[in-house]
Amino acid sequence: MTQTLKLLAQMVLLVIIYHACDWFVTATGLPIPATVLGVALLFLLLLSGIVRLAHVELAADLLLKHLVFFFVPVAVGLMDWGGVFAEHGVILLAAILVSTAVPVVVVGLAAQRAQRAQKIQG
Amino acid sequence: MDATTPLCIGMTLAAYWLVRALYLRLRHPLLNVVALAAALIITALAALGLTYQDYTPAKNIMTFLLGPATVGLAVPLYRHRALLARYGASIIGSVALGSFLAMTLAAGMAKLGGLPRQVVMSIVPKSVSIPFAVEIAKIYGGVPPLSAAFVVATGTLGSLLGGWLLNLARVQNPTARGLALGTVSHGQGTATALMEGEQQGAMAGLAMILSGLMTAGFAPIVVWGLKFLPAF
Repeated sequence: MTQTLKLLAQMVLLVIIYHACDWFVTATGLPIPATVLGVALLFLLLLSGIVRLAHVELAADLLLKHLVFFFVPVAVGLMDWGGVFAEHGVILLAAILVSTAVPVVVVGLAAQRAQRAQKIQG
Repeated sequence: MDATTPLCIGMTLAAYWLVRALYLRLRHPLLNVVALAAALIITALAALGLTYQDYTPAKNIMTFLLGPATVGLAVPLYRHRALLARYGASIIGSVALGSFLAMTLAAGMAKLGGLPRQVVMSIVPKSVSIPFAVEIAKIYGGVPPLSAAFVVATGTLGSLLGGWLLNLARVQNPTARGLALGTVSHGQGTATALMEGEQQGAMAGLAMILSGLMTAGFAPIVVWGLKFLPAF
């Protein structure tokens, strides 16, 4: 029982952080998603010790374990957009292929070079 | 009360549990839970003669916790803070480079290919995790389900080709491999990286979250720059 209450309280905390960020983004018209701001805010709260890992990890771990569930209803919206793939499939596939393959190689090489440089310095 | 909404919620939960059980058994990064579950639901809705509009109230109820759950990503980020402190500069540098390159290439090619504006804006955040991608797309007039589809396509291609491409480019360093997979192909890339090893997986998870944050930050610049590209 206490565990369930703890879980609920932690979820409420996450809901509050998210909605505070959502409100802030709407009020200021900042072109940044509330979720991005929320992650940054909670990370800073954890770093500063204002919020402890024990205050959020029960709810966060449970929600993150099933994070993919929330994407399913969003993806169902594709049923209205099948035409886009029929019409522009080739260009879409080319754009996604190139923009996936090129950055994987570039990031891999850049990070490997940076690691080596750091090792030589350190 | 209308029975459609409870039916849609039940259907979604059933599809999720079914596909998740299959995934947990097979553990293959190419078996995508989102794509397979959504395909099952779309098929069922079509068979029942229901439209996406009928499904929307159920969707709104089920995604109430999506925002708060995404905020929870700060927890793994915090748990990996030692890695961040140790490799900070190289992590941030490579993730920034990769995010910017992925967005520019995807959106630039889509615009040059003459795709409608809504579709171009939906492809901008395709290398990041769905909750970030969907929100970033919305800001610039993109379509959330299209972004979700592009994200899944990117993750699938990244998982399929990522390891092979990195071998081809002779990237052997585990940290570098994890960063590359997580930055470009989010959760699916992270799952692939985890199969290579723990260090690859941890770096990929970190890169995935950071690339979501950086893509949101770069998006205004990329969207602005797109104006100067002609559409054919």
